[in-house]
Amino acid sequence: MNVAAVIAVAGWELRLAVRGRLVLGTAITFTIVCVAATLLGLRSLSDLGLAGVGPGTAALINLAILFPPLMGLMLGANSLSSSRERGLLPLMLAQPISRLDLVTGVVLGLVGAVWLTIGFGFGASALLLASVAGTADVGGLLVIVASALGVGVVSVALGVAISALAGSRLQALGLSMGLWFLFAFAIDLVLAGVGAAVHLGPFGLFVGVLLNPLEAGRVLMVLASGADALTLGPFGAYLNDTVGTAGAALAVCASLATWTVLSLLTAWTGVARRDP
Amino acid sequence: MRKRRQKPSEGTGVAEMLEINAVSKAYGEHRVLDDVSLQLKRGDIALLVGANGSGKSTLLRCVAGLTAFEGSVRVLGADPRSGADNRGRIGYLPQLVSLPESVTVGEVIAFFARLRGVSVRRPADLAAAVPLPDGFLPSLERPIGALSGGMRRRVALGAALLGSPPLVLLDEPAASLDEEHSSSLWETLQALRAAGGTALIAMPLLVTSMLRHDLASVADRAVMIDHGRVVHDGSVESLRPAPALGAHSLTSLPSLPSQVSR
Repeated sequence: MNVAAVIAVAGWELRLAVRGRLVLGTAITFTIVCVAATLLGLRSLSDLGLAGVGPGTAALINLAILFPPLMGLMLGANSLSSSRERGLLPLMLAQPISRLDLVTGVVLGLVGAVWLTIGFGFGASALLLASVAGTADVGGLLVIVASALGVGVVSVALGVAISALAGSRLQALGLSMGLWFLFAFAIDLVLAGVGAAVHLGPFGLFVGVLLNPLEAGRVLMVLASGADALTLGPFGAYLNDTVGTAGAALAVCASLATWTVLSLLTAWTGVARRDP
Repeated sequence: MRKRRQKPSEGTGVAEMLEINAVSKAYGEHRVLDDVSLQLKRGDIALLVGANGSGKSTLLRCVAGLTAFEGSVRVLGADPRSGADNRGRIGYLPQLVSLPESVTVGEVIAFFARLRGVSVRRPADLAAAVPLPDGFLPSLERPIGALSGGMRRRVALGAALLGSPPLVLLDEPAASLDEEHSSSLWETLQALRAAGGTALIAMPLLVTSMLRHDLASVADRAVMIDHGRVVHDGSVESLRPAPALGAHSLTSLPSLPSQVSR
């Protein structure tokens, strides 16, 4: 691998991304929503006479699995497909750089953009928490941030894979939004609706979680924020009994890693086999 | 293939800069290139002339290692598809390229310089890395979004010529360029040839006819391609306009079966 070329492509993609309206708009919105959620969480706890904010950070989990993945999927989907339509991809691939280096650089650059957005949003929340409730409670937030960064990597890799395979930029963006809706809402709705009817059971739900990177990220955040598996209800009780909290966390981490690797392999294969 | 008279400086053992042997390419049932063979030596500047859809761009993409094909291409003896380093010998300008509007000219040049391994530690290195006359590139600080189509084309040309690669593939390089900058481009190609560089330049038939006198001072060969097959390989002067039309037409071409392999 040509590390210098990968860094050059990553820097180029990051520069393009942070100057784009998508990243700027998402970063601003995400930061505002994170700050609002944190303030609301702090006020609710204060009304209850509680000093700690640990449970309050859980309010940010849903934001973390909605905003960054949507952004990562769309940025990734836009990347190669846009370059292909602009005629920039052939110009880049005519340079002494392998297609593996190109895809790796694109993914790294876009991951950087997503991480920056997560950093802004959760950074503002962490400052608020630290100033009001003390630094001890920031720890719970940091593990959520770490999990969100992981989900960000998966979403970018998935988006780039879509971009490598899609026929056009528009198709790639449509597919990425559809996939986000599927992972963020549709699978949950389907599992809730038909889970009992088809006797899915806790094991079936666990498999459903592993097959959905956003849900895997959500479970990881809940587990990593200090709660044990029982926080997840009957499904969590099943996890606690069978694989324990650490085992469940390991399983969802493995799920996220597998999604990332498979997506990258798909992207590399797609770019290698297709004319730019 | 037409045999060229050997220059005095060329020994019989001089390797070809570019060897295209029996290259064919099809998109589904549509055959875009059909058994194309062509050789260029160091210092050759050849025009690849043809009508729209004749296969010029596809041939350049094959040489640049961007698409799969039947047959073989060798640039200084190496297959451009076999390794990224081999593509470092080629500077390629696609027919259509739209640079991102949010970056500056300097950022574009710096990015492609890094990909090519050209050192650009100081801003002054950027302009020096591009073998084009002063003033050809727009100001390095200007954003691409603020440039005209011709200026953007000049930036893309600068990116393609970075580091003075031994083989340059230009797909309609003069498109959108004004007369002044077209002349600068031809001068640059002359300098490239003087330094031993080689170029294969795709141009539409009509443009070639209009610029025949300019091109004759730059290019020493004109290879005409029609429906994916080489139908003529001769001097630029041989692309004479049809008297009645004022422009070259395929039907006016001389039949050269003894001189043309394809």
